[in-house]
Amino acid sequence: MRSRIRKRWQRWINHRIPRRDHQILSQRNVFILPTGAGVIFGLLLLIMLITGINYQNSLIYLLTFILGAVFVAAMHQTHRNLAGLELTVLSGGEGFPGDPIPFRIRAKAGGNDALALSLSCEDTRIDQQHVLKGEPADLSLALVPFERGYFRPDRIRVETRFPFGLLKAWSWLRPVSAGIVFPDPIPAPESASTVQDGEQTSQARSIDGNDHADIRPWREGDLSQRVLWKRFARTGEMVIADWEGEQGSPQWLDYEAFRGVDQELRLSYLAYQVLDRMKTNRPFGLNLPGQRIDPDEGRAHGTRCLKALAVFGLEKPREGEPLAFGTRTQDASFGPGIRSAREARS
Amino acid sequence: MIPGTALAWLMGGFALLLIPQWDRLPVWLMVSCIVLAIWRWLAQLGRLRLPGKWSRSGLMAVLVAVYIATVQGRFTVETASSFFVLAVGLKWLETRTVRDFYVLLFILVYLATVNFLFHQEIHWTVINLTGVLVLFVGLQVLNAPGIPGAVRSGWKRLGLMFVKTLPVVVLLFVFFPRMAPLWSVPLVSGEARTGISDSMTPGDISNLAQSDERAFRVTFGDEIPAYRDRYWRGLFLDTLDGETWRQSRGDGFRRPGRVSVDGGVGELQPNEYDVLLEPTDQTWAFALEGSVAVSDNVEKNENGLFRFDRPADSAVRYRMGLAPQAAETGAALGNARQYLQLPANGNPRARELARSLREQASGPQELALNILSRFREQQYFYTLRPPQMPENGIDALLFDSKRGFCAHYAGAMTFLLRAADIPARVVVGYQGGEPGADNAYLIVRQYDAHAWVEAWIPGQGWTRFDPTAAIAPERIESGLRQAMQEEGSFLENNWTSPQRYGDMAMIQWASLQLDKINYQWQRWVVGYQGQSQMDLMSRLPGGFSLRELGYVTAAVIGGALLFAGLFTALRGRSFSGRDAFSRVLGRWHSICEAAGVPVRDGETPSRQAQRLAQAQPAVASSAMTFARLVNRHYYAGSSGAPGAGKSGPGAREELGRMKRLLGTLNKQVKRSKSSTGRE
Repeated sequence: MRSRIRKRWQRWINHRIPRRDHQILSQRNVFILPTGAGVIFGLLLLIMLITGINYQNSLIYLLTFILGAVFVAAMHQTHRNLAGLELTVLSGGEGFPGDPIPFRIRAKAGGNDALALSLSCEDTRIDQQHVLKGEPADLSLALVPFERGYFRPDRIRVETRFPFGLLKAWSWLRPVSAGIVFPDPIPAPESASTVQDGEQTSQARSIDGNDHADIRPWREGDLSQRVLWKRFARTGEMVIADWEGEQGSPQWLDYEAFRGVDQELRLSYLAYQVLDRMKTNRPFGLNLPGQRIDPDEGRAHGTRCLKALAVFGLEKPREGEPLAFGTRTQDASFGPGIRSAREARS
Repeated sequence: MIPGTALAWLMGGFALLLIPQWDRLPVWLMVSCIVLAIWRWLAQLGRLRLPGKWSRSGLMAVLVAVYIATVQGRFTVETASSFFVLAVGLKWLETRTVRDFYVLLFILVYLATVNFLFHQEIHWTVINLTGVLVLFVGLQVLNAPGIPGAVRSGWKRLGLMFVKTLPVVVLLFVFFPRMAPLWSVPLVSGEARTGISDSMTPGDISNLAQSDERAFRVTFGDEIPAYRDRYWRGLFLDTLDGETWRQSRGDGFRRPGRVSVDGGVGELQPNEYDVLLEPTDQTWAFALEGSVAVSDNVEKNENGLFRFDRPADSAVRYRMGLAPQAAETGAALGNARQYLQLPANGNPRARELARSLREQASGPQELALNILSRFREQQYFYTLRPPQMPENGIDALLFDSKRGFCAHYAGAMTFLLRAADIPARVVVGYQGGEPGADNAYLIVRQYDAHAWVEAWIPGQGWTRFDPTAAIAPERIESGLRQAMQEEGSFLENNWTSPQRYGDMAMIQWASLQLDKINYQWQRWVVGYQGQSQMDLMSRLPGGFSLRELGYVTAAVIGGALLFAGLFTALRGRSFSGRDAFSRVLGRWHSICEAAGVPVRDGETPSRQAQRLAQAQPAVASSAMTFARLVNRHYYAGSSGAPGAGKSGPGAREELGRMKRLLGTLNKQVKRSKSSTGRE
């Protein structure tokens, strides 16, 4: 019964506050209730009123009415503190599981300063954030996810108790943007495809991403994972995609290198290898089923690889309840430079 | 845990709220509160550590023990309030968390409430309210310690709230039904109040003459009577017990509960007067001779005096009418033996004098006048510094020292009359009173306390004889100040009293103005209780009863909430920067979403309309027209087309078109959805 009520409530909230990366708080989506102290204050007012009645004391009546009016005024003040506040998700952040990942939100005050805001999501919470009129502020909430993949907080609660702490006004931000959690790096056994070879590494460095694949028939000694099995299924020919100068080349980190290993573990091994290459500043490429990232070096490249590992096999979360005719955003892509291996091969 | 600034403001509020308690708190309690607060403050600064659990409990036990020893089991509102202060003092050492802060705040707000029980003058009201405001500034600092200028903006915010809600507060104050007490807790006070008492030993009233505290204030519907006619009768003392005059019967059973403090009845008629009596803890109401009760919180007892039904533990307002024909003529003497009572022996010379006076005079009237002439003609002195007269005091006064105060002479004259077999009694009350600012009302102070004599004259009834008038006519004509001018003993022990410096015009003026403000405050604000409310309401058309007042209160609260809600909604609308055009766009978006076509950020209106048209072919033409209109609105300003700018009549017309179009669009979408639903 309780869970049913809870579910209904959640549904109502979700309906009222659709997933948006950009949210303007207004009376439509700001909720307000007295805090514990506020309830006690209400009781105190009642006791004061009874005192006033019993002792026929006009001034106690007066004090009670003044404080009661201040309480109501505080209701509006607290509400106005949030109303008009514009929240925009800047980025979902990225990081490793168990590490705090900053979820960054830009807040812009509307007609009034928004003072003493607190943002919370599950166990994480930041307090005393002040957003003054005309001075947008970037707030960042350090969330700690534990699973690889897209990471999107269901709701971020924005709350204020200003000015008196007798009332709390709150709303939720239900972001569309998601952070990305990389696979947990696990030291990988060095596999055959990544055996170190100094000469070939230096050769590979001269290739600046403009590689193309030579396709040649299979011959004795070729590693079975380098057979284009898809083509074999289509045509019956057993061919090897011979990436230029890449024969067993160490700069390619290959999903297929870890035969018989569980997918998540493979990704963890690859993440470890990516980190390892980044640390030693060696160029490398990443070969995932259905996706290939050309060899390169540098931080941005490494991050791109980690991201690819993070979302491997996962679908980007939808922005909310599906509508009959399409989605709110265009199909996601990882930008230029990343294309699917299938495209590359055709 | 608690920001220092917030704590400082809380302490400031505490200090302010403690001021009205100064005269009823024991000194040790005051000092311990201050010490404990300072301790807490030093702990905040890091100079000192807060006591641990054990030493705190020990301290608490000690202070509570001292408290119990001081109150000695008396339970009065005052002891309760000092316990309250003690609790606040001890709480300082425990204030570590935000929660403690709130506990302390709530206790302090209630302390302000308690303060109002004891002091209702305007300056105490201001101090109390300021204390509460200071607390609420501290509360704001607590909730947002980081913002620059927290205190200043806190005051500003609070002030604005106060000003904005003032009309509602005033309406509530006027219309909130003043119910009868739900249950009655008398405001018992352990404090001895300054004022006349129900027994009179020579010397009592001269002590009272050193006090400039107000006894009561009177507004007359007509002219203020002449000074010499202002005899305010309070009570009779009819039993002489050694040196002390007492009441033969007390005021009887003191009913529990509280006196009705508000006896204002309609407009003041020319032959009426309103008395605002300061708390006396007695049931006596003071009235001029020949008065009748008008308000129903006073009634006349069988002795012809006026009494409240319960002790006046707070300021009471009552109304009397002047009806000279209703004087004591023809009133029954009652128990004559009581009025002839004298101790079996003592004062032999006085008894001898009475006997000779009786032989000389033809009747009681003449005898009494003879006594007065004796006082007038012989060298009797009216003084605030009478000599000690321990044994046979009346003899000593009449024959030896011949120096005394009104109480001495009144007692002596009553003694003489009774010794001469004329029923007589001492009347205690006030005589005189000085006009307040603009002569609008009369202020009677404790130094106006007076005692005189009433004797039973057959055919006339009880008749007033004032020996003081014979000895020091200036006391009766213009007051104690004039009477004591030569002696210089007027308020000689009371350095701070503005009355003492009556000859300095500035001080006198200021003190009268302050009194005037306070009087109006007490009459119209503090005294605004049941009767005044009913009077005011009966003047409004419709004649409100208590129930209607309840409705009005509910309406005021509801109306204020509604108004404030609407106000916020409108403000919210204007603050979110949404003009009419963006509202139209918003509506367009929600229609699209309702049709199942999601709105994408950064998409042009035409593209959006195309997608809508694809999804719902039925609305294609309206959607495309709308998109065209939106484009025109965006780009018309730059093209300079006449009447198509962002403002002006053209723009309004355009908006109207858009709205109408959206209306049709909405209908079309609904129709096509319902038709697809049926298929």
